[in-house]
Parts: sequence; structure tokens; C-alpha cells
Amino acid sequence: MKVADKMLVTVSPHLHKKDETIQRAMKDVLIALTPAAVWALVVFGFNVVYILAVSCITAALSEVVMRKIMRRKPTLSDYSAMVTAVLFAFLLPPTTPLWVVAIGAFLAVGIGKELFGGLGKNIFNPAIFARVLLWFSPLAVYTTKFVKPFFWKTSGFFTPIATSINEGAVGRVVYKTLAGNPVDIPTAATPLALLKSGKWLPDMVAGPTPVGATWLNSGGKPSFWSLFLGAKSGCIGEVCILALLIGAAYLLWRRTIDWRIPVGIIGTFFLLTLVTWHHPIYNLFSGGLFLGAFFMATDWVTSPVTRRGKWIFAVGIGATVFIMRFWSLRPEGVAIAIFLWNIGTLVIDRYIAVPKFGEVGAKVFNQLPVLPEPAPEPAKKQA
Amino acid sequence: MSGKATYKTFKGGIHPPYNKELASGKAIRPAPVPSEVFIPLQQHIGAPNEPLVKPGDRVELGEKIGASEAFVSAPVHASVAGMVKDITEVTGFTGAKVKCVVITPDAEQPEFTKQDRDITALSDQEIRDIAREAGLVGMGGAAFPTHVKLTPPKDKPVDTVIINACECEPFLTCDHRVMLERPHDLVQGLKLLMRAVNAKRGIIGIEANKMDAVDAVRGAAKGEAGVEVDILEVKYPEGAEKMLIFALTGRKVPPGKLPSEVGCLVQNVGTAVALYEACAWGKPLYERVLTVTGQGIKDPANLLARVGTPISTLIEACGGFAGQPGKVIMGGPMTGWAQPDTSAPVVKGTSGIVVLTSELVDVGTEEECVRCGKCVDVCPMFLLPNFVVQAVKKEQWDRAEMWGALDCFECGCCSFTCPAYIPHVQYVRKAKAEIAALKRR
Ligand code: SF4
Ligand code: SF4
Repeated sequence: MKVADKMLVTVSPHLHKKDETIQRAMKDVLIALTPAAVWALVVFGFNVVYILAVSCITAALSEVVMRKIMRRKPTLSDYSAMVTAVLFAFLLPPTTPLWVVAIGAFLAVGIGKELFGGLGKNIFNPAIFARVLLWFSPLAVYTTKFVKPFFWKTSGFFTPIATSINEGAVGRVVYKTLAGNPVDIPTAATPLALLKSGKWLPDMVAGPTPVGATWLNSGGKPSFWSLFLGAKSGCIGEVCILALLIGAAYLLWRRTIDWRIPVGIIGTFFLLTLVTWHHPIYNLFSGGLFLGAFFMATDWVTSPVTRRGKWIFAVGIGATVFIMRFWSLRPEGVAIAIFLWNIGTLVIDRYIAVPKFGEVGAKVFNQLPVLPEPAPEPAKKQA
Repeated sequence: MSGKATYKTFKGGIHPPYNKELASGKAIRPAPVPSEVFIPLQQHIGAPNEPLVKPGDRVELGEKIGASEAFVSAPVHASVAGMVKDITEVTGFTGAKVKCVVITPDAEQPEFTKQDRDITALSDQEIRDIAREAGLVGMGGAAFPTHVKLTPPKDKPVDTVIINACECEPFLTCDHRVMLERPHDLVQGLKLLMRAVNAKRGIIGIEANKMDAVDAVRGAAKGEAGVEVDILEVKYPEGAEKMLIFALTGRKVPPGKLPSEVGCLVQNVGTAVALYEACAWGKPLYERVLTVTGQGIKDPANLLARVGTPISTLIEACGGFAGQPGKVIMGGPMTGWAQPDTSAPVVKGTSGIVVLTSELVDVGTEEECVRCGKCVDVCPMFLLPNFVVQAVKKEQWDRAEMWGALDCFECGCCSFTCPAYIPHVQYVRKAKAEIAALKRR
């Protein structure tokens, strides 16, 4: 009974976990980001769709073209470019001109991911890489203008935004062709910026305002509810903490992300704000801390692989965000903190030791064992 | 106490689909005698045996047909009465050629004539000698000669003998059946093991998915001094030596060390029963219970098969293939060997034959590691399998050693869980070979 031609011979193990693929994990992240995207649509209007679309299309094109040039096999089907594109869009204010979005999405996928060697080899989270690059580029002016939540109530849901800053720019043309005449929307400060300028700090401890007529009205002091539910100005993906938590719960349940990283980041930040008499809850709910902690810092590729490393990484990010928020000129520091600790990951993974099962003594740092050098090849005799 | 019971276990590991119900209800029955048996001369780790017979000789059931003078070695015995046809090389289950004694069995096979020996009178040395003469090896797969294990170094006395009754490999049920059908022999085998190494304590560790076996063995162990039956969490690889010792006693065997380092001796269910048979009945190890199972088998079963039986005979005895066989695995699906055909003979360490249908064979393509850290999370040895793979790819052998290549016991948890479908075990084997070659210089 020979059936040799039909049977498969591979090395053990012969079983694989069901549904455990890169593709599946990326799909999970996309699913988890959906609530936040839907909410962004509600607060910032249809403009969000334009930004997401441009980001995704550019990201896909960049990946295909870059991999062609570098002669690598196509990987579009693993959805990692889509994840990067959505995350990158989430880090932008809803006023960002579409051509800036396109440049950023190319920076993310074409440079941040592919030029570094493709998925698995990149040092920086591609979305963060592009965001930080934009910040420190002349384009920064386009990516720092925020709008009031629900501004579309006065201008129309489907109306594309054009802030005064991109008057006459290419973006205006693109907007025009996409959806008619864009309107100018007055910009508004984010809660973090207000916090930074010292406004309202004294009475921050007033208890939460119950859900009602007031929480949608962000004209005055944002209540805890408006911060938590996302009736505030800010970047597209960061505003609704609730939506982010729903997505995060899904990812944790699917075990796509490791709980240690968000817990470490948020916990560290919380404790530091608490002991320094800043209002912890208010600070947690403003800005992109939750988006960063659950969806950016947990990026497989750019965070440490060991549990010990993950704790160091997370506490490091939490502390860095704290320092950036209170001692730097920028109101926001999550992306930059993650960016810095992406570099830290290289060091953590290489030097922080993990004791093997049964190993005694607390080894803290790795040392290479010494193996004999391979003997030199015997020199070939000339004939 | 309320809620789910928690059982002893270790950190890491995985929960593969178990599929035990395919064969767990099937009582052990004897497998048919094949038209030819191929008995490999070496079925253990250690020195190779020399044949004691030549073509044309007649052999009796249980006759010694291969032996070696070396200490780390175990003789082999004829599993049938018949004529020696040839001594030749055939392809073994690992794919390597093995030297076999080929025997044509008589049409009528005799029953084994049991001697009736008083096992309570045996001294420790006598038990070791019997184990060696009977050709006992570890029957869980690794096949290490038992008498060697029963001779621990003088400065490391063994105080606890552990019976590995977890059977954590998916699909396999032979140990389960043995515990149900022969609990008395198992407990007596354990007592012999304890006596051989002068240990006061004996623990039988059973996974929580075999509560009927727990009851059976507990019943047989009633009144036996020093014998305990412990329940373990259902998890793979609960039955790995180091994990099992930790789960049951809390002791950790250091990297690169043997269980005797922490005063433990681990033996498989089959081995304990075989020791009892050898001591009480004078029966050498020439047959064993194994499971033939999988969705690709018509009628899964637990068979008492003679060593040297070709896989094909056993598959036919179970009704043949159901559907298109995708993979035929000798051993369990986590650590077993995929077979190119069904000609390899069963050896003493063969715990089962698992046939997966082609639909069930999950072959992903190997991708770049995405550093998800899942392999690190599941590795019960706390190694960094992804970094070992990286080092092997770059041929940096010192780094491969640092990340744990030498401490890996190839359980396969890392590959099971890897979303990039990286075959870590394959890389680890390469690293082990290269590091060993470098160190030998
Ligand atoms: S499980 Fe696979 S992809 Fe994940 S870190 Fe390990 S080797 Fe890399
Ligand atoms: S590295 Fe070795 S010991 Fe660790 S999970 Fe992988 S196969 Fe098992």
C-alpha cells in the first residue's frame, strides 16, 4: 500500500492553531478600529471618509509599488497596509488636506514599513513614523488645526472641510472634484491644549455631568462624559474613549494584543499624574493616550517580544508621555513617546535576559556564550 | 469550594484540539500478525545491537535476537515465532535506514507462556537486570534504555518516582486504555520502579480529561504505601518530563540537567506495565499497546501490536483509510514523524499512528516573523524561539545557543501558535547539530 505521492511529509508539529494567521490578526485590528471610525464619522462628518479613503488607497499603492521595485513578493492580502493606513488617518485632525494625507500614507507604508524591510523588519510603527515625520516637517501646519465637534450641524454632514490654511492649495482642488465646494470651518482647541494653557484646571474636580443635553454641548467646559464619549475636538480616531475600549476589549478577547502594554502605559501615566496632583482622569481622557496604548504601542513588530520587555516598554512609554505632557511645548506626546520606545525595543529585546525554566539566580542582562570558532577551511592545494 | 476546579500545571503551553473521543472508548484488542515482521536492531538511544541470529535460523516468540555489550543499550526480541528470512536495511519511521531482522511468522502463533515469579522478593539489582534483559526502553517516544535510568548517579539519590500518565498528545489514547484495563499492573510496576531506585514516594500524574482512569488507578493503589494519584490540568505538553516534575512536586530541573538532579525519575505508563510483565511473568518487551486513530482512519482502535509490524498492517486492521489520507504520523501529532508511505515498522517507542485527512492538514506558508511574541508566551522552557530561528537563519550559532536552542525539547508549541507558520523545530534541530559539531572540535 504505497500512497507516497499523495502524502505530506513535514517536520513536527503536525497541528496548527485554528485561525492563527497574520491576516486574521490584521483583520481583527480593522474590526476593532471600526467603532472609533464610526464615531469619528458622527463627530466630524463625512470628511472622515475622504481622509480614510485617501489614506488606504495611497497605502495600498505604495506597498504594491515599493515591493515591485524591491522585488519582494506581494503581501497586500495580509491587510497590514490597511491597518497602517487606518491608524495613520486616526492620528490626523479632521482638517488635514487630502494631499497631506496622501504624502503621510506613503511615508508610513512606502518608507516606514517597506524601506525598512517590510512587515516584521520595520523598526518603527509605520503610522507613528509618518505622523512624527509630518510633525517635524514644514507640513506640520496642516496637521495641527482641530475643529469643534459636530461642526457639521451648521455646514452640512457631507461638506468637506477646508481650513483657511489650505486655501488655494492642491487639496482644495481635490476636495472640489470630490464633493463640490468645501467650506471654511473655524478651528477649535482640543481639551489637551486647553489643559496645557492652564484653563479650567482649578475646577476640574467637579463631579461628572450625567448624560443629557449638556454632554454634547462642548461650548463650555468639557464634562467627563463628553470626554469619555467623545464629544470633543481632537484627532479623528482618538476622541471616543468608549469606542476605543470596545475595540480593545475585542482584541484582548481574541488575544491579538497583550494586555501588559496598555495596562503598563495607562497605569504608569495614571500614577504619575496622581502623585503630581494633576487630575488623573481628566488627563487620561484627553488626547490620544487610549488610542496609542491599545492600538499603536501594542503593534507586534515594534514592541518587545518578552513579558519582561513588554513591562519595561510600557512603563517607559507611560513615563515619557507624562514628561512630554507636562514639560514639553507640545500638548500631546503619545506618538513621540511610542516612536522613542520603538527604538528602545531593539535594546530591550537584545539585552534584557529572560531566565530559562529552572535557571537559578536573577540574570538581568544577556551575555553571549562563547562557542569555538569554526576551523578555517583547509587551503586547497594548487594543482 | 465553588467554581471550576484547578489542577496542578506549569506556565506556558497550548490547548490543541484533542480528538481523544475517536479512540478512547475502544478496548485494547490484539493486532493481526503480519506476513513479515521487520524488527529494527536498534530501537533506543545508545549503542547499536549486533544480530544474534542469521538468515535461515528459527526463532521462538520472545527470543533475544539482538544485543550489545555496551551499558547504554537494550536488547531486542523476536515478536513472533518463525524463520529469519533476512537481515537487511529498511526505511525506519524517521526516514533513516535501519538494520532489521526480517522474520516470516509461523501460521500458528503460540501464546506467551507466563512464568509465575514472586516480585516482592526481588532486589534492586535484580529488577535492573530484568529490565535490561527484557529490553525495556521508555515507551513514550524517546526510547531511553530503562535500566540506565534506574541507575542514577550515587550522589543524586532519587526519592520520587513519577509515572507520566498525562498522555497530553492529542488523539492518542493507549495509556488511557491501559490505565482503565490494567490499573493493578501499572501500580505494581510503579512499586517495582520505586524499589529499584529505593524511592519512598511514587506519583501517578493523570490529566483531568481522564477521570475514569483516575478512579481506576486510585482503586488499584488503595493501601499501597507511598503511592499517590494526582490530577493535572489538561494542557500540552503536560507530560514533558520537566513540566511534569514541576507540576507534581514544584521542583525545577535546571537547564541541561536530568530529573535525577532534583531526585526524580519519570517513567511512562507503558514502561511501568512492561516492567511488571518482565518481573512477574518473565516477558520481554516485544509488543505494545498503541492507538491507531485520526479522522483518516475508518475504525480507530487501541491495538496490542507486535514490534516490527508494518504500519500498513495496522491501518488495514482498522478498516483502512477513510477518505484521502493527508498525513500519516508515527507518534502523536505534536511530536511524531510524518511518513512518506506506510511501510515503516512499529518500534518499542511507537505510541500511535495518526492519520489526518487532507482537509485537516493545515499547511500555511512560512512568512517573516512578525514578532508577535506568541511563541515566547507558550514556550514551557521560557526560551525565545523566534530569536533562535533568526540566529539560525544568519548562522550565528552562539546566539542560537543564548536564546535557548539547546534547551528546547521540541514540543512544538511555538510552531503550533505562530501566525507566520514558522517551523521552529526544524531550525532548532539544525542549530543543535551545528552547535554540537562546533563543541566537538
Ligand atoms: S510566534 Fe511566529 S511570528 Fe510570532 S514572534 Fe514567534 S516566530 Fe515570530
Ligand atoms: S522552543 Fe522548543 S521547547 Fe520552546 S515551545 Fe518551541 S519546541 Fe517547545
